Amino acid sequence: MKEKILEILSETYPEIDFESSDELVDDGTLDSLTVVGIISALSSEFDVELPYEEIIPENFNSVDAMAEVFEKYM
Amino acid sequence: MPIMTYNSLFFVLFFTVLLIVYLIMPVRILKQIVILIGNFYFYKYAGGLNCMSVLIASTILIYGCSLWMERIYAGFEREAEGLSRKEQVPLLNSYKKKTKRVLFLGVFILLGVLIYVKVGKLLHFEEVARIRELSFKKIMIPLGLSYYTFSSIGYLADVYWRKAKPEHNFLTLLTCTTFFPTIVQGPIGRYDRLVQQFRELPKFSYERVCHGLQRMWWGFFKKSVIADRITPVTTAMFADVFSYAGVEMVLAVIGNVIAIYMDFSGCMDIVIGAAEALGVTLDENFRQPFFAKSAAEFWRRWHITLGTWFKDYVYMPIAMNPRFMKMTGNARKRFGARFGKVFSAAIPLMIVWILTGLWHGTGKDYLLWGFYWGVLIIIETAFDKELKAIPKKLHMRTETFGYALLQMIRTFIFFAIGRMITAVGVGRSVFLIFGQIFREKRLYTLFDGSLYSHGLDEKNFHVVLIGLAVVWLVDILSARFDVRKKIDEQPLVFRWVLYLALVMSVVIFGIYGKAYDAKAFVYGGF
Repeated sequence: MKEKILEILSETYPEIDFESSDELVDDGTLDSLTVVGIISALSSEFDVELPYEEIIPENFNSVDAMAEVFEKYM
Repeated sequence: MPIMTYNSLFFVLFFTVLLIVYLIMPVRILKQIVILIGNFYFYKYAGGLNCMSVLIASTILIYGCSLWMERIYAGFEREAEGLSRKEQVPLLNSYKKKTKRVLFLGVFILLGVLIYVKVGKLLHFEEVARIRELSFKKIMIPLGLSYYTFSSIGYLADVYWRKAKPEHNFLTLLTCTTFFPTIVQGPIGRYDRLVQQFRELPKFSYERVCHGLQRMWWGFFKKSVIADRITPVTTAMFADVFSYAGVEMVLAVIGNVIAIYMDFSGCMDIVIGAAEALGVTLDENFRQPFFAKSAAEFWRRWHITLGTWFKDYVYMPIAMNPRFMKMTGNARKRFGARFGKVFSAAIPLMIVWILTGLWHGTGKDYLLWGFYWGVLIIIETAFDKELKAIPKKLHMRTETFGYALLQMIRTFIFFAIGRMITAVGVGRSVFLIFGQIFREKRLYTLFDGSLYSHGLDEKNFHVVLIGLAVVWLVDILSARFDVRKKIDEQPLVFRWVLYLALVMSVVIFGIYGKAYDAKAFVYGGF
């Protein structure tokens, strides 16, 4: 799951190093625009509709956290 | 007539008494009661008790709606037991439909009042101070309405999204909604976080009280020494654009931008400092905004809580809306990935900025102002790669301080043009000012002394410049470390000389007193 997410994200956002930190949102690497893009890409890939309450910084601070939240709804 | 403003002597006396009584209270609940009484007392003299009934009514509304939503979700919790996450999703969606009605009811009423007041202001409805005098063409403008309305909507939305638990104790919620440091002009706080802090009001800490008071006086300095010296002059100049030379108008625009920063951030220093002394941490609203290198970064540093509010409650819900996502998906397939990316960012951004404009004011000038910032930020985000390529093509070294300074000056100019759009109060304001700047340059006015004849004589001009240099220095230092902690490490004598210098500079150079009528904070009017 993690590998798949990393593959998709690296393709969509080649300029961002997603493994550089565990605080991608908190340290400003990902802005709200990018988070929206990530959710859009992962939702269509895994056919998952993420509830809005799951869209909090903690769930997007690392690829592990993203994998965990998407796995919950698969 | 309101007499309590954050920079009045009345407020200083009120806060001193409140702080002493608060600190001697032995238990948390008594401390909270002292704050609640303080809130009512403050509002009575700042906005009038009659207007407070609107605030109390809106608190009752969000209290009721949030508990109602919690009750509906309790049904979901019971039914969801034993189901997998995936099975829970459709069940949760059905419950969300029910809670959405409650959310809409609350938001409809809250927004209804806000829009009524804003439109009423635009149509010059007669202003009244009492509820029983209200009629269709008469409005009451409750102090802090747009700030607490936004916090209230955020609270209801968070409960709806199950990001926040509703508060069951009405008096605690009322303490939050009426909290005197935030009621006039923010920061737009999240009630759920504030509630949590009131539940755990800390014990006395010398360091915290001292830091809070330092920050308050720093705010008084920015407001009374700098902002209040400049604002009356620039306001008068904008009211009579054609009487001044172009070069003087340029200075007026620069002065006005500086004044509004000193005014608003000074107010935030006062209120965040006051709350800090009481043991409550408020969200920061400014982070050296003029050090920003782009328009988007500027708005992440200026009026941060408003930007965050729009991001969380307007931008994200639109961008994450399944229908909108489908639309952007189709746009991507049809017109390419690049177009899809621009489209998915531009639509919600433009809506956010038009609404931000309307939040500030309902005239055409504010609509244009919102549109202006929307376009700037959309260009920056959509053409990020192209914009970054320009300095490379021009062989500019982007890692130098000189380049960073150029970017900061550009940010300042962006903001200054934004100010010009709303400065005169008519839709074509920016064109009037630009016209005067280019038609009537008259550079000689800089040197023949006429510059000092518009309300700011040479001495006062120098006070402003020295004050600005001090604020600039502190801003630079604050970007690197915690200035107040550094002061704590200094010898006792040095510290007290510094405190005394700050207090005395406000007492000696501050603009205040009964005859002075420009004391009210600019952002209090929104």
